[in-house]
This record gives sequence, C-alpha cells and structure tokens, in this order.
Amino acid sequence: MVLKAILIGFITALGYSDYFFGATMVNRPLVLAPLVGLILGDVHTGIIVGASLELIFMGIVSIGSATPPDIVTGSVLGTAFAIISGKGAEVALTLAVPISIIAQLVKMSIYVVRSGINHKADKYAEDGNIKAVERLHYLSFALMTIPMWLLTSISFMLGSKVMTSVLNSIPSVITDGLKVATGFLPALGFALLINMMISKKYAPFFFLGFVLATYLKIPIMGIAILGVIIAILMMSFNGDNKKGVKTND
Amino acid sequence: MTNNEISTNKIQKSDLIKTFWRSFTLEASFSYERMQALGYAFCMIPIFKRLYKTKEQMSEALKRHMDIFNTTPHVVSFIMGISAAMEEQNSNDKNFDSESINSVKVALMGPMAGIGDSFFWGTLRVIAAGIGVSLATKGSILGAILFLLIFNIPHLLVRYYGLFLGYKAGTSILKSASENGIMQKLSKGATIIGLMVVGAMTGTMVAFTTPLNISIGGASVKIQEIFDQILPALLPLSLTFFVYYLVKKGVKTNYILVGLLVFGVLGKMIGIL
Repeated sequence: MVLKAILIGFITALGYSDYFFGATMVNRPLVLAPLVGLILGDVHTGIIVGASLELIFMGIVSIGSATPPDIVTGSVLGTAFAIISGKGAEVALTLAVPISIIAQLVKMSIYVVRSGINHKADKYAEDGNIKAVERLHYLSFALMTIPMWLLTSISFMLGSKVMTSVLNSIPSVITDGLKVATGFLPALGFALLINMMISKKYAPFFFLGFVLATYLKIPIMGIAILGVIIAILMMSFNGDNKKGVKTND
Repeated sequence: MTNNEISTNKIQKSDLIKTFWRSFTLEASFSYERMQALGYAFCMIPIFKRLYKTKEQMSEALKRHMDIFNTTPHVVSFIMGISAAMEEQNSNDKNFDSESINSVKVALMGPMAGIGDSFFWGTLRVIAAGIGVSLATKGSILGAILFLLIFNIPHLLVRYYGLFLGYKAGTSILKSASENGIMQKLSKGATIIGLMVVGAMTGTMVAFTTPLNISIGGASVKIQEIFDQILPALLPLSLTFFVYYLVKKGVKTNYILVGLLVFGVLGKMIGIL
C-alpha cells in the first residue's frame, strides 16, 4: 500500500516534470491515467478513464497567465480511486474535478513563493553568480514537484479506504446522472477551444468539420488532412488575390 | 547547417546544443510575476559563458534576461537563437546597443506565442488528442503513444532547427517574414485546421441524447429521432455553444463544470436524460 502510494505520487511528479522536459504533453490525462492503471494492475480501466478525462480537460491548458485547475493531481488521484473502488470512468470524473480545484489552490501558494525566488535570483544575477542562478532554477522546480508528489501519496493513502466506502454509499440515481454528465463535460473543453480560436471569418470551418464528421462520418484524422489541404489552398489563393488588386492600393 | 559557418564566429555549435537541451526546462521556474524569465536566463547561460569573461559582463547579461518573458515553450528556441546572435554581436561591438537584445526578445514573444499557441496548443495538441482519445476509448494503449508521437515529432524538429535558424538568420529573417506576412498566414492556416477538428469532435465526442417520448394520436414518437432528422448531434452542438456563450460571458470554468454535473444528475432524476 505504501509502495503503491509512493508510486502513484511519482506519476504526479512525472506529470509535473513536463515543465522540466519541454511541455511534451506527458502531463495529460491520456498519458498519466494508463500509468496509474499500470501501478494498480488495471491498465485497461486506466486507458478508458484517461480518454474521458482528456476530453474534459482538453480545453484546459496553461496559456498566458490564468491558473487552470490542476489536471495532473486530479487525473492521477481520480483514476486511482476509480480503479480501487471498481466504479469506472464516471467516478474518476466526479473525483478529478474537485481534486483538481483543491490542488490548484496549493499550486497558487507555491507560485507566490516562486516570485520570492525570482527576487533572490535578481540579486545573484547582479553578482554575476551563474551557479547560484542555476541552483534557484532547479530549486523552483523541486519546490513545486515534491509537494505535489507528497500531496498525491498522502491523499491516496488516507483516501482509498474512505473513498471506497463513500463511493459505495452514493445512491445509484446520482451515479447514473454523473454517468450522463460525463458525456456533457467535453462540451466545456470544446467551448474553451472555440473561445480561443473562433472569429466570424473562420466560424464556417468549425461547421465544416462538424458536418464532415456527423453526416459523412469521416474520422478525425481525415478531417485534419482535409483541413491542411484547405489551409494551403486558401493561403495560395489569398496570395494571388493580393497581387491582383495591388494596383488599387 | 555546417560546422564551418558557426565556427567562424565565437559561439560554437556545442554551445547552441547546450542551450537546446536547457530550453526544455524553460518553465521549470515559472512564476506569475516574471513568468519564464529565470528559465530564459538559465537557458542562455552556455552562450554567456562563451562570450563574457568578466564578472561585470556576466552580471549585465544575466540581468538583461531576468525581465518578464512569456511565449509558447515549443518555439522558444527560435528566439533564443536570435538572442544568442545578438549577444555575440554585443560582445564583438563596443557600440552595440545592448538594450536592443531585450526589445527584440519582447517584440518577438508576442508573435511567436501567437503562432506557437495556435499551432502547438490549438492545432497539433487537439489533433493528437482527438486521434489519441478515439483509440483510447476503445481501450487501446496506442492512443497515448500516438498522442505523444504526433505532438512531439513536430515539436522536437521545431525546437531543434528553430534554434539554429534563429541564430543563423539573426534579426534579418524576421523583418522579411513579417513583411511577407508569413507569420500571419501560418497562424491563419493553423486556425482553419484547428477549428475543423474541434467542429468534428463537437459532433462526435459530446454525448447528449434524450430518452423522452411524446404520444401523438396514440403513436409514441421518440424526440431524439426528430432531433436527429433536423441535424445529427443537434443537442451536443447546442450544448457546446451554450457553454461557449457562458465562457465568453466570463463565467468561471469551475462553475460551469459543477453546473454541468448538476444538470446531468437532475436531468436523470426527472427523466429527461
């Protein structure tokens, strides 16, 4: 149990190491959940849970200055409790959401400490002290990763028994309802993406993708390839247009 | 990129390779006050070590790169390459305006973030996740593997060659790129592909149906069938746009999450879902 808790915490640390290894997306639920499954001996459930969590959290990325809910701890613990209680994806979702919101608070306070580290780094920069500046960079990373590792391990140890009994006492109306809600949540992810990308001029492309998928049943890969073709065509025709009307400028 | 071209200058290929490896850690010390500043300075250190020998020079260089900086991590190496070229110029030329190193950095972080965010976060990640999720829902581990591969092969190529491209071209390429509108074109193209994929996923991955029946003249009609005849995935599309409206209105994501969960449970209790 203790070993498992440490390993589960390690998966959280692995997710956080994404900030050290170049945002390669190892912190996404699609990757973390199967690893949690591997540790708890149920890779299959891990994969399935990872897929549904990814759909929900798809729109949540740390772009710019907003702190999104912490998907790493949410996904890891949500998946772990879902597998232990044997209740599947919908339980993972209901747990992942509140856990990620609580973890976000912890994360915020660590960010405040990191600002302090930045001021310290200013002083070392003034002295031209390379070694010390480098040390602070590593320290900042450890300061986030290790607490999150511990937080996950401890929550897992305390939580798994409690969680299982709590989950067993939830009436089936609610769990069925949550199962239905699981299907809704991707709408939030997509809405966030639409909000990021859409403009009046480009809105038709959203509906083009929609129609190709719903009426013509083209798989996503095919639609992406079509998108590339359309983008190339649009760009080359736009270029010709500009040349044509240049005399008017 | 031949070794020759670089070895005529002070900065060696090996210095740039060191910066390439360090560039992965850009966000390890992210904070909301300075964002990637400390990380950027950390990545530039191999270059400083080659160029600056006195403590004063080193101090100036480190301080220069401690100002707030933020861009898409996957494309940052391109800007680092340009910074390296400018630092080299600075170390060779006493009259070089060292302020310009920072102003070029700041001028680039916005446009590079624009194209980087729309390509890496908005397009490539969404496509990779879409393909990954569609395999993972069937229980295949290939989902996670393909997701990582589809995202990271272009990522690593851009990160590696971007650095050398940035260094080699220095500032000149950027002028011509923005004059020809290449950046804008790429960003527009990425938006088109991204929106089509999101549209497709909205139509196939949001699950929202109703079991309701109405009886017309004794015959019971399934409401879902009527919806399907109007437009397949009408309910998922409406729900997504309703949520989009809320997001646009500035409703907090957490409230929307909870709201959707409550809607699901209540809807099931009443029997409309």
